[in-house]
Amino acid sequence: MARHYSETEVVAILDDLDRARLQSFVSAQVVTPVVTPQGPAFTEADVARLQLLCDLSEFYDLRPDSLGMVMSLIDQLNTARGDMRALIQAVASEPDEVRGRIMTYVRRVRVTGQG
Amino acid sequence: MAGDPYAALGLTKAASDAEIKKAYRRIAKSDHPDLNPDPAATARFKAASAAYDLLKDPEQRRRFDAGEIDDQGQERPQRRAWRDHAEAAGNPYARSYGFDGDPDLSDVFSDLFGRRGGFGGGFGRGGHEDPRDFHARGQDYRFSLQVDFLTAARGGKTRITLPEGGDLEVTIPKGVRDGQTIRLKGKGGRGLGQGGAGDAYLTVSIAPHPDFRREGDDILLTLPISLDEAVLGGKVAAPTIDGPVNLTIPKGATTGTRLRLRGRGINGGDQQVELKIVMPPRVDDRLVRFFEEWRKDHAYDPRAGMKTGE
Repeated sequence: MARHYSETEVVAILDDLDRARLQSFVSAQVVTPVVTPQGPAFTEADVARLQLLCDLSEFYDLRPDSLGMVMSLIDQLNTARGDMRALIQAVASEPDEVRGRIMTYVRRVRVTGQG
Repeated sequence: MAGDPYAALGLTKAASDAEIKKAYRRIAKSDHPDLNPDPAATARFKAASAAYDLLKDPEQRRRFDAGEIDDQGQERPQRRAWRDHAEAAGNPYARSYGFDGDPDLSDVFSDLFGRRGGFGGGFGRGGHEDPRDFHARGQDYRFSLQVDFLTAARGGKTRITLPEGGDLEVTIPKGVRDGQTIRLKGKGGRGLGQGGAGDAYLTVSIAPHPDFRREGDDILLTLPISLDEAVLGGKVAAPTIDGPVNLTIPKGATTGTRLRLRGRGINGGDQQVELKIVMPPRVDDRLVRFFEEWRKDHAYDPRAGMKTGE
């Protein structure tokens, strides 16, 4: 099972994170801790996400509500990118004839704009 | 970081501390790997953040300038990139991005990618994104719940604190499995207008137990037994998820012998016990003498059946 970090641990790991900032991220719902009987906990992925949240707060002086908007866009983009990657991989493993039909269609609709 | 940290920030040694910070922020804004997918940008950002880590502390900068430490001469915390996690399947922050409401494509889309939790799988992220949703039921909440092994096996209640405040008593059904979702009807966000409340979905993850493992409804346990118990057999107390029960060890049991405690698993499953012979903490003279005698006319080769690989 994935390792979990407590609030105290994540604050210690990330230089730019203090307890107040962590609280503001959680109440802005840009990061959602795992609920455990010992209290809120964060996964390795959450720690990476918190790093990004700190970076965005530092570099752009973003307030938590603006951060929510930015993260929503980043999440949408990453989800779309993950889905797109899966689709492209699926297309890549199809026979030439199928790939050709898909290519023709996509080029018509997205590249030459004659769809 | 190869070479000159000042160069990585586009500066010279004469730069002020404020200029260093400013240069780092400028590079981070344009080249942050979560914002700019270009690999060259990522390389620039890595070099700049390594340089900044070295130079941001005035004392450390002084020692570097004086040649007391080199640009590698410090332990740097590893930087974590959200992007490495963000595309992964099952990422709880995954968000739908516009096909759910498309009358022509939503079916194809959900066939391919399934229905993603709520609007993004978190707590009340950003309200309603679909304008047609205004009259609808409240948002579904999704989050992960960690349950200890025995509570998962036996069922029970646990009280959780919601990230947005307030707490909730949750009944853990007996035998819940890792990854299973518990639905709490009406415990999601409040509905708008005529709409009822949404539901809360808890995805269960089960913490491992030091002794018990699980295989479906069966509980697996490795039970240590003493040398004399192995030779003579006898009754020993074996822990089960509902407390210890007596287990009869057959005479001549050996490591790997499997015994079954019927009905002692979950919901009618069994507990499978694998025996493991454990030597006494100290091999005393009497034991040594006994085995020296015993070996003379009882020697056996437990490796006789092994393939030697020749």
